[in-house]
Amino acid sequence: MNEPDCNPNQETFVINLGPQHPATHGVLRVKLTMDGEYIVHAEPVLGYIHRMHEKMGENRTWAQFLPNTARLDYLGALSYNHGYVQVVERAAGIEVPERAEYIRVITVELNRIASHLLWYGAFVLDLGGFTPLLYAFDDREHVLDLLESVTGARLTFCYFRFGGVYNDIDEPFITGTRAFIKRLRSRLPDYHNLVTKNIIMIKRLKEVGPISAEMCRRYGATGPVLRGSGVCYDVRKNEPYSVYPELDFDIPVYSECDSMARYMVRMDEIDQCLRIIEQALDKLPDGPVMAEKAPKIIKPPVGDYYGAVEAARGTFGIRVVSDGTNTPYRMKLRSPTFSNLSLFGEASRGMLLADALALMGSLDLVIPEIDR
Amino acid sequence: MSGYFCELYSGTKSLFVGLGITFRYMLKPVVTLQYPHESLPMSARFRGHIELIGDEETGAPKCVVCGMCQKGCPSNCISLAGEKPEGGKGKVLTSYILDFTKCSLCGQCVESCKFGAIRFSKDYNLAGPRKEAYIFDLLKRLEEKGR
Amino acid sequence: MSMLCETLKEDFLALAPLALVDTDYKAKGYQLDITVAPAQVVEAATIMNRRGYTLEAVTGVDWLASAGPKPAKKAAPAEGEEEPVEAPGAPVAEQMEVVYDYTNTGQELCRVVVRCRIPRANPELPTVSGVFSGANWHERETHDFFGIRFLGHPDLSPLLLPEDADFHPLLKDFRV
Ligand code: SF4
Ligand code: SF4
Repeated sequence: MNEPDCNPNQETFVINLGPQHPATHGVLRVKLTMDGEYIVHAEPVLGYIHRMHEKMGENRTWAQFLPNTARLDYLGALSYNHGYVQVVERAAGIEVPERAEYIRVITVELNRIASHLLWYGAFVLDLGGFTPLLYAFDDREHVLDLLESVTGARLTFCYFRFGGVYNDIDEPFITGTRAFIKRLRSRLPDYHNLVTKNIIMIKRLKEVGPISAEMCRRYGATGPVLRGSGVCYDVRKNEPYSVYPELDFDIPVYSECDSMARYMVRMDEIDQCLRIIEQALDKLPDGPVMAEKAPKIIKPPVGDYYGAVEAARGTFGIRVVSDGTNTPYRMKLRSPTFSNLSLFGEASRGMLLADALALMGSLDLVIPEIDR
Repeated sequence: MSGYFCELYSGTKSLFVGLGITFRYMLKPVVTLQYPHESLPMSARFRGHIELIGDEETGAPKCVVCGMCQKGCPSNCISLAGEKPEGGKGKVLTSYILDFTKCSLCGQCVESCKFGAIRFSKDYNLAGPRKEAYIFDLLKRLEEKGR
Repeated sequence: MSMLCETLKEDFLALAPLALVDTDYKAKGYQLDITVAPAQVVEAATIMNRRGYTLEAVTGVDWLASAGPKPAKKAAPAEGEEEPVEAPGAPVAEQMEVVYDYTNTGQELCRVVVRCRIPRANPELPTVSGVFSGANWHERETHDFFGIRFLGHPDLSPLLLPEDADFHPLLKDFRV
């Protein structure tokens, strides 16, 4: 990053935010050059939880990399599962049965809700409100119970397989999900009354932390950050995959560009997720959940393939290069928060430290996914 | 000026609305459990560490020592050995060690076993003072369970 | 093929790239595959910027191990497994590739991949961080992992690796 562009006569000081700080949600360190309470220059320092997943990918078979995809963004692991199986299916030319795709969509959207709920709680916690976290976790617990009953895990799911899903969903899951939809719908007004309309919240978020659409474009920011800047871009709509084209849902977009807009996008997205799940449950076709012709040992033809999905935090892209063997030649994981965080230095310039923390919270960072 | 008072009024109101919600939930039944004293039933598909399945009649492990699980595991958690008994057919399992410190509970091993010889256990209360406490001897575990 | 793709193709043909291929989106996941010379990457980025594109990722590929088929893997392919390193002087094995993934956040879908081959012995090419600010971190990461130097980059110090790292783990001759 560039040297701080401050007046040389001005007295500045450097503080380290993190790597162990509750507001950074993991091991992220931000080196801040401050002029009093104002940020002159902020430089995120990454790599504290770097595990080199890309090299691991080159040392395992295609199927053996599946559990790794759950350990990037541990709050929205299924989207990453989905992105990976999808790109390998594209490469190897595997057709996925419809029922499996519907199950994927249902579980991914449930996971997205869980991720947004956790973000909601943690974000308000960053701003100093403790109670909403407990409500959010109460509901999130129900999602995790549902997901556990089909995938067997609560966080690091490894549920999708090339050509389908690990096992079918059952009747209790379907009734449970329907009950959950009803429950969350009745709780969302409380969320809004408790937090969205709260005067302190409004004062902290409205017109604070502007991120323009142009800045998003230059930095490659995606997801709710981009949609909070008035750009209607969602991979599920713009680059339809899976069975999303058959489902009717809206992409919430707010053009205020402030932290409040990003907050509202996520809250509205929860609503849309519920709609998607409801429709997917209604339309759920019968049939197998695993492609019959899916080969046991995957050897995609030589070439490189790209696939992108909409994860809870933005576009998760994955580029695989195959040399025709049962091991990937190269695996590039494009994580959304990596790009979203890269604009923090520019966006936080001249802001009050406390507002910058609100801005950082509104980016919805998950550090293991940035560091990979 | 009137805008100021308007905001003051709506702001104060928003705080009381919030407090009202909190109060309402305070009167509702408790949703948490006092964990060590009570716990929820495990879901049927919960993935704990893997365990061997014994034959219903004899109690001996169903495993035929084909090594597919070992091959499928991404993290090299499984080491097993078997020997051919004299005169008998096939191999007999002599040791099956799971290094749970590296296991990611992915399920590749269970899926690759064509003989239905392993499954996920329901153990989740795991705690140990040393790394070695997580190197499980699954064969011994099966024998102890059979007793 | 959408209008946008056609426009981009014209733009790029004016640049005289080394190769320009229409790819099948369904099979590959992108529509245009363009190979340019190292001196052209900035110009390519400028074109993409003018068309309102965003840079999704920058990454590298080390082609060292690509010569000849890999031996089929035996069991237990984790630590210490071998990669074939004896590349018999095939030119491709002495190259590295830098890949830029572009996409547009408008309504039209046209993913563009810009690639650039550079010699493995002297991996250098100009930075595009002057055009896309987001390239800064992506290029730093690529420098971390492959040792590719981006000329004119403001700061190539390790981003994800430890700050004193002097190794490049994604090179094919790097041993785990
Ligand atoms: S669950 Fe996965 S990581 Fe664990 S022993 Fe089985 S194959 Fe290995
Ligand atoms: S795959 Fe099943 S039968 Fe084969 S060694 Fe493993 S547990 Fe035994």
